[in-house]
Amino acid sequence: MKNFQTLKFLDLFRRIFESFGIDYPVMRKILAVKLTMDGRRTPTIFNQQAKKKKKPEENGFIKSLGMYVLLSLFLIPIVVFGQNYLYQMSILFGIVMFLVMTSMISDFSNVLLDIKDKGILQTKPVGRKTISAAKTVHISIYLFFLTAAIAGAPIVAGTFKYGILFLLLSLIGLILVNLFIVVLTAIIYYFILRYFDGEKLKDIINYVQIGLSVSIAVGYQILGRAFSFIDMKITFSPSWWQFFIPPIWFGAPFELFLGSHSNGYLVIFSLLALVVPVLAIVVYNRMMPSFERNLQKLTNNSGGGKRKERRWKQWLTGVICRSNEEKVLFRFSDNMMRNEREFRLKVYPSLGLSLVFPFIFMFNEIQMNSYAHLVSSKWYLGLYGSCLMIPNAVTMLKYSGKYKGAWIYKTAPIQSLAPLYSAALKVFIVNLFLPVYLILSVIFIGIFGIKVIPDLLVVFVTAVLYTIICSNYLKGTLPFSESFEDAQQSGGAKILLALLLIAVFIGIHFAVTFIPYGVVMYYILLLVITIFAWKQAYKTIWNFQ
Amino acid sequence: MVIEEIVLCLRDLKKNYGTKEVLKGIDLTVHRGQIIGYIGPNGAGKSTTIKILLGLEGDFSGKVEIFGEEVTEKNIGYKRKIGYVPEIAELYDNLTAREYLTFVGELYGMDFQTADEKAQRLMKVFGMEEVYDSRIASYSKGMRQKVLIISSLLHNPDLLFLDEPLSGLDANSVMVFKEILAVLAAQGKTIFYSSHIMDVVEKISNRIILINDGKIVADGSFNELKAQNMEGTLEQIFNQLTGFNEYKALAEEFVAIVQEV
Repeated sequence: MKNFQTLKFLDLFRRIFESFGIDYPVMRKILAVKLTMDGRRTPTIFNQQAKKKKKPEENGFIKSLGMYVLLSLFLIPIVVFGQNYLYQMSILFGIVMFLVMTSMISDFSNVLLDIKDKGILQTKPVGRKTISAAKTVHISIYLFFLTAAIAGAPIVAGTFKYGILFLLLSLIGLILVNLFIVVLTAIIYYFILRYFDGEKLKDIINYVQIGLSVSIAVGYQILGRAFSFIDMKITFSPSWWQFFIPPIWFGAPFELFLGSHSNGYLVIFSLLALVVPVLAIVVYNRMMPSFERNLQKLTNNSGGGKRKERRWKQWLTGVICRSNEEKVLFRFSDNMMRNEREFRLKVYPSLGLSLVFPFIFMFNEIQMNSYAHLVSSKWYLGLYGSCLMIPNAVTMLKYSGKYKGAWIYKTAPIQSLAPLYSAALKVFIVNLFLPVYLILSVIFIGIFGIKVIPDLLVVFVTAVLYTIICSNYLKGTLPFSESFEDAQQSGGAKILLALLLIAVFIGIHFAVTFIPYGVVMYYILLLVITIFAWKQAYKTIWNFQ
Repeated sequence: MVIEEIVLCLRDLKKNYGTKEVLKGIDLTVHRGQIIGYIGPNGAGKSTTIKILLGLEGDFSGKVEIFGEEVTEKNIGYKRKIGYVPEIAELYDNLTAREYLTFVGELYGMDFQTADEKAQRLMKVFGMEEVYDSRIASYSKGMRQKVLIISSLLHNPDLLFLDEPLSGLDANSVMVFKEILAVLAAQGKTIFYSSHIMDVVEKISNRIILINDGKIVADGSFNELKAQNMEGTLEQIFNQLTGFNEYKALAEEFVAIVQEV
C-alpha cells in the first residue's frame, strides 16, 4: 500500500484527533485502505486476457478535477469585476455549493451509505468514534480537493485584488459551506431512508444524479449566455426571502467586512452562515445512530414489487419483432434497461440533453432575430438534436452493473445471439429515443405548423438508420455483458466522429428542402436504405459469437 | 471437579425491529471449549443473535456478557478475543489478500510484520501462496471464503463466530477446516457455529441449540436431542421441532409442475 501524501499531511493534526478520543493509528490505516481502494477498479471476467498489462493505479476522481479547474477559470471574472461583494460572492458560493452537492450525491453516496463497513470494521475492536471519524475524514479529503479545484483560482485572484482579509473570509466560508453540504446531504438521506426502503432510496439518488447532471450541462450552456445580461451594478435590496437562500448567507460577510454597506440584514446573514452549519452538525451527531440503523434498510427490500401489465408494449413487441426468440429478448432487454439504475444513470442524462439542446439553439436564434423569423426558418432541423444521444446510448448497451449474469446467453439453447443485439437496439429506439422524439415533435409542430411533419418523419427514419450505423461502427460485445467500470475507457473520439455524421445528415436534409417534393422523395429513399441496412446488418455484423 | 469457565452468557435477550419481535427472550450460557451448533430456519433470529454478540446491533433488552464483560456500544475491548466469519462474504475485495489480511490483523492490534508473515503462512497452508498479492475480486468463491477464515483466526481469538463458514469450499478444504475446528476446540477455543447444513452441524458440534421464532426450542448434545425426539438425524429433528412435515408433498408438487412443460 502506498504511503499517501494526504495522510502524511493529516499526521500533522494527529494531536487534535487524539484529543477527541480517536485512535489515530487505526483511523489512518482505515483511510489508507479506503484511498487504495478508491484508486482501483475491479477487473472484469470477460476482459481479463485483454487487460493483462497492469496499469498504474490512478484515482479517477482526482483526474476528473481537471474539469473543475477549467470551469473555475470562468469564475474569476465573477469575483474580480464589479464592486458588489454580496452579489458576486453569493454567485460564487452558489456555484460552489451546487457543484459540491452534485459531486457529493453522485460520488460520495456510496461512502455515506456504505454498509460493508459495518460488517468489516465494527466487528473488530475499533471504536465507533474512530470509524465515523475515518468516514468523515475520507469524505473531507475529497471535498477538500474538489473545493480547491473549483474555488482555488477565483479565490487566489480575489486575494490579489481585495487583500488578505478576503482570503481569510473565503477559507472560513468554504469550510462552513462544505460542512453544511455534507450534513444537508446526510439529513436528506436520513429522511428518505426513514420513510422509504432501500430500493426507493437508490431510485431517488439515481434520479437526483440524473437531474443534476442534466442541469449542470444545461447550466453551462445558459451560464455562458447569461453573462451578457448580468448587470454588475445591481443594488442590494434586502428582503425576507433571501433568508432562505444559503449562498447569500455566505456572500454577506464579504459585503459586511470588505464592502461599504453594513446593515442589520448583512449581520444576520453572516450569523446564519456561521450558526447554521454548526447547528447542522449538532443535529447530525444526534441523528447519526438512528441513521446507521436505517441504513440497514438498504440491504432489505421490503414491500413486494408490482407487476405492471402493459398492453401496448405487448402489441408493439408483436409488431416489430419477427422471430419468437427476438420477442423474448426484446422483453428481456426492455426489463433490463428500465430497471438497471447504472444504465439509467449513464444514458438518461444524454436523453435529457437531447430534449433540451434543440431549444438552446433556437433560443439563440430568437435572441438574434425574432420569434416570427424563427417560425419561418428551417430551424425545425434542430430535431436532429435528439439524435445526439444515440452514439452514447448505443455504446452503453453492452454494459451492465450485473454483467456477470451474461453467462445465461451462453448456456441457453439459442441458435444465434444476433436477435439479442437487434432486440436491444429496438428497445432502445422504442423506450428511449421515441419518447424524446415524440415530445420534441409535438412541440415543433406547435411552433412550425403541420407542414413540417414530413421533415419530422425523415428525422425519425434517419435516427433509425443512424442507430444501425452507430451500432455497426461502435460495435462492442453482447448487450449487458461488461462492467460499467470499463465504460470510461471506451473511445470518446469514436463517439465524437459519430456525432459529426449527424451534421452530414442535417446537411443533406437541408439541401433537399430546396427541391420540390425533395423531402418526400428523400423520405422514401431513406426508408428503403434503412430497411435494407437493418436486414444487412442483421445478417453480417450481429452474428458474432 | 474443574469449574468450567463461562465464555458467553445471554439473559432474557429480546430485540425488536419496529413492531416485529425478532428475539423473544433468549437464555444461554456457553462454556469454554464448546462447539455450539446454532441452527434454525431462515428468519428465526440466528443472525440477529450473532450481530448483537458482535456489537453490530444495539437497542436490545436483556443482558449480554462475553468473557464476563458486558456488551455495550462503548465497550470494544472484548472484540479483540473474537473472530468472525460472516454469512455473506463481505470484504474489501479491491484489496489484495496481503493488504486485506494485514489490515484486519492491524485492526486487531497486531503489528504489520507479524500479521503479514502469519497471513502468508496460513495462505500457504490453504494452497494460495501464489495469489497472496492478487486482488480478492479475482478469487473464486472458495478462495474468498478461505481469506475470510484466515482473517477471522489471524489474531488467535478465543471465541469464534462462524456463519455458514463452509460455503464454497471444496470437499478437501471442508475436511481440513472441520479438523481445524476440532483441534481449536480441544485447545479450549469456543466456537459458535451457525449453518443450514445439518449433517455438518450434527458431526462437529458437541452442543446443538435450535432456535425457532425468536426462542430456543432445543438445547443439548445430538444424542440428547435424539433421545428426546425419537428421530434419527438432526435434519429430521429440525423438521419436527420447527413444525415442518410437508416436505414430501411440496417436493411432489414441485416436480409435478416441472414436468408439465
